[in-house]
Amino acid sequence: MKKVAALLFISALAVLLLFVVAGMPPMGDPGNPTVTHVIPRYLERAEEETHTVNVITGIILNYRGYDTMGEVTVIFCALAAVLAVLGRERRGVIHGFVDRSEVPASVIVKTMVRFIVPFIILFSVYTILHGETSPGGGFQGGAVIGGSMIIFTTIFGLYESSRRIPLKVRAPLEGAAVMGFFLVGSLGLVGGGNFLTYAWPRVAQGLHPSLVVWLTVLVEVGIGLGGAMVLTSILFAMIREEEEIAPAS
Amino acid sequence: MGTALNLVLILLLLATALLAVTARDLLAAVIVFSVYSLIMALMWQRLQAPDLALTEAAVGAGVTTVLFVITIFKTRRREEE
Repeated sequence: MKKVAALLFISALAVLLLFVVAGMPPMGDPGNPTVTHVIPRYLERAEEETHTVNVITGIILNYRGYDTMGEVTVIFCALAAVLAVLGRERRGVIHGFVDRSEVPASVIVKTMVRFIVPFIILFSVYTILHGETSPGGGFQGGAVIGGSMIIFTTIFGLYESSRRIPLKVRAPLEGAAVMGFFLVGSLGLVGGGNFLTYAWPRVAQGLHPSLVVWLTVLVEVGIGLGGAMVLTSILFAMIREEEEIAPAS
Repeated sequence: MGTALNLVLILLLLATALLAVTARDLLAAVIVFSVYSLIMALMWQRLQAPDLALTEAAVGAGVTTVLFVITIFKTRRREEE
């Protein structure tokens, strides 16, 4: 009975969704509502209005700056929720089940990880700093740094990993994304413009383009560092264990 | 050529999605789900959204997989009948 009801419900939902899909405009059609409303304005005036090098960066960090700021806040809230459930590790030595594993990681794996992690971090730095002219940006770079920390932690254990990035470094940087966004946004208010705009009528008629680029890079670096630290902290909170063990020497 | 590649990607996407839902072994489900994310990243790239492709590959295939695996190690590997 339950299964029949579920099947009926899913079928009804599928029919409803297929109706919606049938009503959608064809992909790539120049008459689409997405193409006719805001896109022309973005494409034509993004450069003079946002002073950014790339239209997509202009949209993400300027036109839809609130949107991006909300996303950054959501990630921060995710960390807050994880820490509220699992708790923050105590200051000093922490460890996880990786450290107690009876099968030690092989020398080949350890050497490869030690060799490859710096290159992953280098790539993520490139992604963050080139975010305003090429695909990628703060969030992607931050996620890649988080990924490199995950590789390092799963091979070398939480004890080694948390010595590399101790709590007193992570804790202040976790809020870097939100803080950076808010500070740069407020600079726009101080300058007489709107929140997160780079036109400051009270200071000068049109900012120097290089200054705008530096402000954008500041926001991107903030997002990247904040995202990386949030991911690392979530990983540490999930992988750590309560009992005390002697650190492997 | 492009259409054939799209078709293969979509079929693989459907297959991995079904496998991830139906697998009884949760570890297998997580690994299949990471494959799903990887194919999805390829699809984003085909749809000319490289930003999303990067995010999907890093977060979907990398970070969440490891977080899921950690959760499985801390709980149970088998789904209850």
